[in-house]
Amino acid sequence: MKGTLHTHLLSILVVAGAFALILAATGGGTDPEAEARRRLVAPFLELEFFDAGDPLHRALLKETLRLYYPSSEEKIDSLLQAIDAYRQEQFVSETEKTGAEALGWTSRKVARLIPMYLQFTVIYGIVLLLTLYGAQTLGTYRFILDRRGTPPLLRAYWRRVAAALPTRNLLRIAAAVFGNLPLLGLALLKGFAYAILFAPAYVIAYSLKTRFDTDSYLFMIVLGVVSNGMVITYANKFYLYLIHESRKGYVETAIVKNLARTFQWGVPGGIPRRAVFRIRKHFGGHVLQHIYENARFQYIPALKEQATFLVTGLIIIEMALNIQGHFCYEMLQNILRTDYTVVAGMLLAIFVLVKATDILVDLWYEREARRYGHPELDQ
Amino acid sequence: MNARRSPSGRWLANEEYRWALLWLGGLALLWIWNTLYLNPPALAQLEQAFVNTLIGAAAVVVMTLLLGWSVGTGLYFLESRGRRMVSLGLTFALNLLRSVPQMVGILAGYIILTILIQREVLQSPALQVLWMAFTVTAFTFLELADVIRERIDFYRRSDFFDAMLCCGIRESRIVNIEILWKNSVAHVLQKLIAVFGMAIFLQCSIDFIISVGLSREVSLSNFPVTLGGLLATLDSKQDILAISTFFTNPAYLLRLATTHLQGISVAFAIVFTLLCVYKVSNGIVRRYRL
Repeated sequence: MKGTLHTHLLSILVVAGAFALILAATGGGTDPEAEARRRLVAPFLELEFFDAGDPLHRALLKETLRLYYPSSEEKIDSLLQAIDAYRQEQFVSETEKTGAEALGWTSRKVARLIPMYLQFTVIYGIVLLLTLYGAQTLGTYRFILDRRGTPPLLRAYWRRVAAALPTRNLLRIAAAVFGNLPLLGLALLKGFAYAILFAPAYVIAYSLKTRFDTDSYLFMIVLGVVSNGMVITYANKFYLYLIHESRKGYVETAIVKNLARTFQWGVPGGIPRRAVFRIRKHFGGHVLQHIYENARFQYIPALKEQATFLVTGLIIIEMALNIQGHFCYEMLQNILRTDYTVVAGMLLAIFVLVKATDILVDLWYEREARRYGHPELDQ
Repeated sequence: MNARRSPSGRWLANEEYRWALLWLGGLALLWIWNTLYLNPPALAQLEQAFVNTLIGAAAVVVMTLLLGWSVGTGLYFLESRGRRMVSLGLTFALNLLRSVPQMVGILAGYIILTILIQREVLQSPALQVLWMAFTVTAFTFLELADVIRERIDFYRRSDFFDAMLCCGIRESRIVNIEILWKNSVAHVLQKLIAVFGMAIFLQCSIDFIISVGLSREVSLSNFPVTLGGLLATLDSKQDILAISTFFTNPAYLLRLATTHLQGISVAFAIVFTLLCVYKVSNGIVRRYRL
């Protein structure tokens, strides 16, 4: 574990170093010429009695400088030109015109960004936990349906209608067609759910924008869980782990040892439906308990991948919806203002969050591996 | 059961073919509907955006295959030839890349693209699409590299590998042809299909973000139009906003499908493609028991 921890910390150091190097190479997004000009003219502009916009004041300054530096006519001219250029720059500057903050890190900016980052971290944590629960629940539910041999809804509807067709009795056919309409309704609902689960966050959010407050935290959390294919992708992953585990030899052994194996809901020796929806799922005495526990253990490392994808999803949500006052929206604004010093810091903060998740996941995996006496620990 | 089916029936019994066909059919229907109700300039733009998106995603798939295969096998050969330090360094760099959220990396790639366009280094639209594809590839190829490593390790542990070595077959042939080409093509194909879906999702998302961000530096007006960029246009956004009217007034559905067609079509094309790609990829997993 120590080695893994060192690797993670080294990654953070390398990325921080890389950012520092890039910033040093690019001058941190500031124009060195403008910076030099600002340094040159700043002492004069700070004089309270001097108004650089007043021609009389400028002429007086020129005369005063001539008096003190009689042999530096060119230097005096270039200083006055620098003052003009600086004022011109301020006149056209986006920062001055919009009242936006100065480029680069300022204490005000740090104070504003820290709560946003904490808020981003909290939302990220909540969505990660909800997605983990959703993936395990949906994956297990699908696995059980699969084992029960439940046909897809449309196929089930067609089978029932097709069964009535050979009778050539119109009443029976009509009864089959209309009597099974709830199945069609369920199929439609399932299709709608699929559309939501696969829709990118911005499609869902814009579809609902005029009806709901899409800027609320709750909406953001819900969107983070259900959209961008997040929960469905990882539910599928968990389902595949369950399938993979169910093919292993210990399942046969467990069945031979008389563990329950029926996947019917609520029957003796079956699975209680509510057990699937519990946070701590337990299928005592059923072979699914062992399949589930092993699949859950296998799934832990996949959480790292899930975390990275989740950050992508949250960035999409915050940036695409232009939710002001959110961390990623601020990042987009800083990208647009070419304030790369701030962008680099924000990217590093997100990277640290992902790395912190990686460390926690590794710790969890190690704890679980010790619990099961997994051979990987001995390597 | 299969014996009684016609060849086309047997073909359609496979989930992946069925969904691939459904995807093509759905898009064909969408196109026919659009030719009837969408104005020609908007239709031309939609077609162009769709083609650009598909070309971009296909380019990502090709690059992922090349990069993922090279990195996956390269890592194996570095380890087997005892270049442990190089291998560790490369693994560290790859893990570092893995920890960077895709959207962050792709955004950085787009900023560089804009700078290149502004400095007139990258003027050809084809090259721009390739750059966009490469940016996405940098964050997707690792998935394939992992699969390739996994497959090589799996066979490396079996007698099959040593037996082939004893027969005098070169290690590179065993790895590239016997293991990866002959015995892992389904795994690679399934991953590439998943990458195709991921590429469409990422590309559309980044284009949408850049467009709604009202950027001066990174402006989609400089880039080839894709579905994400088209969805971010004012017309499309209004169409998408109109969807919510349907929830209170279901009769509005017909109007949605006729007058708000551009945005609805783009959204449908994105969501339907992602769904079908997922189903196709799942079908392969089921059929080959991956």
